[in-house]
Amino acid sequence: MTHPIRRRDLLLAGLGGALAAPALAGCAGFTGTASRGEGIRFWNLFSGGDGVLLDGIVQDIEEEIGPVRSTVLEWGQPYYTKLAMASKGGRGPDLAILHLSRLPGYAPGGLLEPFDLDLLAELGIRPEDFDPGLWSRGAVGEDQLAIPMDTHPFITFYDRELADAAGLLTSEGVLREFSSAEDFLDGLDELGETSGMTPLTFGHINHDSQAWRIFWSLFAQTGAEFELSESGAEIDIDGVEQVMELLGAMFDDGRAEPNLQTNAAKSEFTNGRAAMTFSGEWELATFRDVVPNLGASPFPTILGEPAGASDSHAFVLPTQLAADPVLRRQAHEFVAAFLQGSLDWAQAGHIPAYRPVTETEAYAELDPQRDYVSAGEIAALDPQAWFTGSGSEFQRQAGFSIQNAILGQDPAQAAQDLVAYVEEKAAEPDPTRGTTS
Amino acid sequence: MTRLESTTGAPAATPGTATGRSGRARDRRAWSGAWFVVPFGIFFVLFLVWPIVYGFWLSLTDASLVASEAPGFVGFSNYANALSDAEMWRSLWHTIAFTAISTVPLVLLALVMAIAVYTGIRGQWLWRFAFFAPYLLPVATVAMVWTWLLEENLGLVNQTLASLGIAGPGWLSEETPAMASVVIATVWWTVGFNFLLYLSSLQSIPTHLYEAAAIDGAGPMRRIWSIMIPQLRGITSVVLVLQLLSSLKVFDQIYLMTKGGPDGATRSLLLYVYDTGFTGYRLGYSAAISYIFLAMIVIVSIAQARIASRKGQQS
Repeated sequence: MTHPIRRRDLLLAGLGGALAAPALAGCAGFTGTASRGEGIRFWNLFSGGDGVLLDGIVQDIEEEIGPVRSTVLEWGQPYYTKLAMASKGGRGPDLAILHLSRLPGYAPGGLLEPFDLDLLAELGIRPEDFDPGLWSRGAVGEDQLAIPMDTHPFITFYDRELADAAGLLTSEGVLREFSSAEDFLDGLDELGETSGMTPLTFGHINHDSQAWRIFWSLFAQTGAEFELSESGAEIDIDGVEQVMELLGAMFDDGRAEPNLQTNAAKSEFTNGRAAMTFSGEWELATFRDVVPNLGASPFPTILGEPAGASDSHAFVLPTQLAADPVLRRQAHEFVAAFLQGSLDWAQAGHIPAYRPVTETEAYAELDPQRDYVSAGEIAALDPQAWFTGSGSEFQRQAGFSIQNAILGQDPAQAAQDLVAYVEEKAAEPDPTRGTTS
Repeated sequence: MTRLESTTGAPAATPGTATGRSGRARDRRAWSGAWFVVPFGIFFVLFLVWPIVYGFWLSLTDASLVASEAPGFVGFSNYANALSDAEMWRSLWHTIAFTAISTVPLVLLALVMAIAVYTGIRGQWLWRFAFFAPYLLPVATVAMVWTWLLEENLGLVNQTLASLGIAGPGWLSEETPAMASVVIATVWWTVGFNFLLYLSSLQSIPTHLYEAAAIDGAGPMRRIWSIMIPQLRGITSVVLVLQLLSSLKVFDQIYLMTKGGPDGATRSLLLYVYDTGFTGYRLGYSAAISYIFLAMIVIVSIAQARIASRKGQQS
């Protein structure tokens, strides 16, 4: 008769223990008592060559400010989803990386906390050390929610010898200016003839952002209107069509294969089957070791004003239920130490946002980084809306219409499709303001 | 036997004051087993019942992943919006098309492969391993391998076709071939599991059935048609149900191979749920779409169960 009781007690005790253990562990993390001595938690999305470089930089910074717990999450949507959820729950990391273009989707929801500019100034970081346009993209009202870390433009990589033989380089060894779209297309044809290979290679099929990047680089050059606001989208469709036409021509007549995936285009370029490619400067590490005479220039000016699609990694302070002042200060120290030492970060190809670094002689000696530093000044970030930005669904969906134009379909139709999609997206209720139905 | 019956049965049969006590004891015995179910029960409630209830509540609100305001109750307007959302219907259609196109080869091919291996291809172990091995690969690997194979200009598939004088399509860049590509990769990846189910079922068919048939003069084809296939009816309905359910929830290989493209041509319903909820931040709306999908799956499952039980009664 006593057996059931004994058994029950045992079960209850076991169950109680099983439930209590994680709860207690959760409590410890929640109140933060266990995390004090372990340093700041830092989330980022740098993998591959960038990640290795960052690890080295973080190790150096740890010697100055104490331990840093670095967490790398998958680039793009997965990263931003996780960061949003952690911040919404008030348990975000002490410091994180955010693309500046994603700020409008984060700031209104209260997912980020402002930096203490006095503390940063005390640590040697002042607003005037940054490009004013870039700095202001990190501000919302009175608050500085993001501190730019770098700009990472979409640029042109090429084989210097081949480009020079085709007469495409200036005496300084960078891509020459083009007077019109025809001039650029003729230049490509010339490059094809003198090099005996496909002049241009570019991969975009089923990629999150590539098609959007080439479109936005060209569209920003037209100076045409592309405004997104709460009342909807104002887009100059003629400007869009002009870019779609140019894209169709650029990927026609053997100038470039229109249907490559990103990896395939990269391998065309690194295997010496194409003389030029458009890509993010973060590919520098990949290309430098395998492409002879690697040259790099800003995205070519073809349609008027110099401009190239770009974005900027920035530091942000995700919202926490109860921020620890010691860790908060360490996060500021980390940012200052990183920016002041960002010559190391430039090795990856990124252009440091902290000007005192790009103005040094050491930076001027970085080859080919010095050749595209001006791309930071013509950086065209995404139009500002809650749904735009690097790795967003918007870039992927917009990319489908652009892809169709590259594949040779009717540019007018592609332009209409793109504008229709953007208008539809702009008409969607803004979920950062709590009205999503 | 009798002694056991008398000892256990005696107290219950005894009239008078003892009945109440022994009745309680028996109740306690009946409930003592319940404690063993408690751990599972807790997990069941925490991870199945509660999410279902919570998810349904979410679908009635304008919950957002990023808004600072608390979600507001909006009734069934998310459902009304979803039902008039062309992209919802389009992605639902993609899911249905994928399920229909992939289930047929995944069942038939598995059956043919199992029969071929069972009935005498030499080196059974090698075929068993070769057919099942892809199933062991993680989806990321499968997607990467097939993305490269199907690459339009440099991929092995089109290079091979080109050497035969055939111009291959843009497997992942054109709408119709893109869906076919996802199906091909999925079949290659998962057919091994169904193959294994069929093979084990074949091995459990008593050999005396074949011997009897052989004595009656049945040839190999006759034995396949009249013994094997009918004996496999049970396992076929299991395979079919498992396959339908796993095809309906297709997500990962599409996410990795085409990201729903080109132009949304391969976006499945679950990918749309992910897109609206996690990248579009509209949790309430994406919960509503999930519940519409759930309702459809429940209807399909009930219909399938009805048909299966009717067949069972007939046989």
